[in-house]
Amino acid sequence: MDTAVLQDSAIRTFYEALGEGRLEGRRCRKCGKITFPPTNCCEHCGSFDVEWTTLSGKGTLLFATHNITPACHPRFEPIAPYVYGHIRLDEGVIVQAIVRGIEATPEALEAVYDKGPIPVKAAVMEMPDLPVLVFEPVG
Amino acid sequence: MANKLKERVVIAGVGCTRFGDLLETPELRGLSLQELAANAAREALEDAGLTSADVDAVFVGNAMVHSSQLPATYSQLSKWLGGQFKAGVHFEAQCSTTNVGAAMAAMAIASGAYDTVLVVGVETTRTKVKGMSPWERESISHQTTWMWTDMAVNQAYQVPQGYDIFSTYNGLVALGYCRKYGVSIEDFDRGMFELCRTRCLHGSLTPKANSQETLEAKAARHGFTDPYAFWKSQHNPFVAWPSRLMSLVTTADGASAMVLTRPDLVRQGTKPVEFKGFGISYRDLPWYDEDPTDWEFDRRSVAAAVEMSGVDVADIGYLHTHDCSHISSLCTAEMIGYIEPGKALDYAREGRLRFDGDRPMSTHGGRHAFGHAWAASAGSDTYEAVQQMRGTAGARQIAKPPVAAMIHTHGYAMIGTTIVLAAA
Repeated sequence: MDTAVLQDSAIRTFYEALGEGRLEGRRCRKCGKITFPPTNCCEHCGSFDVEWTTLSGKGTLLFATHNITPACHPRFEPIAPYVYGHIRLDEGVIVQAIVRGIEATPEALEAVYDKGPIPVKAAVMEMPDLPVLVFEPVG
Repeated sequence: MANKLKERVVIAGVGCTRFGDLLETPELRGLSLQELAANAAREALEDAGLTSADVDAVFVGNAMVHSSQLPATYSQLSKWLGGQFKAGVHFEAQCSTTNVGAAMAAMAIASGAYDTVLVVGVETTRTKVKGMSPWERESISHQTTWMWTDMAVNQAYQVPQGYDIFSTYNGLVALGYCRKYGVSIEDFDRGMFELCRTRCLHGSLTPKANSQETLEAKAARHGFTDPYAFWKSQHNPFVAWPSRLMSLVTTADGASAMVLTRPDLVRQGTKPVEFKGFGISYRDLPWYDEDPTDWEFDRRSVAAAVEMSGVDVADIGYLHTHDCSHISSLCTAEMIGYIEPGKALDYAREGRLRFDGDRPMSTHGGRHAFGHAWAASAGSDTYEAVQQMRGTAGARQIAKPPVAAMIHTHGYAMIGTTIVLAAA
């Protein structure tokens, strides 16, 4: 069985690239829009004519809150509570992800809210079993 | 897409168990899942003046099979409902299940395929099968409930990457709402308190609700004379700032059912309600773009239901919007046009969303007070709308029974489902 050719998988490719610090998405050759995280077709127009594209990892944190404790998923129990953000990537894609560098307290989150949208950049948090895409404030 | 029901369809009967915990709630304690589901189905059949012999098809919904361990529920329930040899299907649309089932039944009846369909939803989010026992159950931990529930959410990326329902559904939406309408965090907190107070009041007037305690009584039980001081205390922590624990769903075990049929088959002496239209639209995460209060799939599901029904939103006298997240439920009500945009918190503070207010919503207590048994909950919402339209809602009855009602639910995650009912 293990000699069979490994078929392409968007999920595996995404996580392998993330482990190397890259954000891989797919751009549609038909409508030009980006599907991120990647699937096997364009989420916008349904075309299967897509190609890999690497995203910059730069974006803007629009809103930030925190998660519940204990975390809904056992993987994240050791780091809960954590900040969770609503982010617009420079490529126009909306992403929701863990945000590092901001305390998960009402006071810190209110300060972020009062400040308004802030620039962030992508980073990788290595969990024991999986690389996780996170964002950090810039500057 | 024609977006039409070619023939008229009515809800002839509705049933719903009390929502609660199969291990401790008085009306539920000791029941099996089969008996729980059958109790709701029996009430719906008797309400319609029918027996299972009159039914052509049985659609049974159950979302979290990890706790129920009851796939092929239609056949497993057949001997508990008194009828076999029917058409049957096990289906799920998560927390929209029962109303999606009603839509499937309406399509089947309007097409002429079936005359009468029994829809059942059954769910246990508080208890699960104990070991391999046929009847014993045990509690489910908070984390396990959400890990199983989140299996309906993006398993490729979002859940493995730290997705949290409370952040996405509550905290971020709350912040989006405050920013959009210039609401201070303190005013938001006060508005959420008032909405929870209304929902708890409704639950206290609903014998089938999971929680039948007013917020004032709950505060007093914890030694507080000021319920708002209780609201801001350690008993009600932030789960996703600025959203607090009591603005969220409460898990429950429960079942609901409804019988849909052709108007000419309605039995004399029963009180049918017309199933005028439905709209269904889904979207994977993220559920919204830049503006966390603007959910495109909800707009589409409501627009489709309104168009199919031919009912003017201005004529809707009762509304339930899915309220696992109280702030999300208000955003939906504003989008529908039942509440002025940006004014929902004012409506809550002024008591306008109460059963005796001018914009009554979720008079059974909603997902916080009535409780949430995923696949059964939409049926409980429809059950309440039917009681209000019939004038049989008891102490929480809207003074003038509504002639049209809208029920909106979010099937996790996310299936925006809207149905419109009108007096038959």
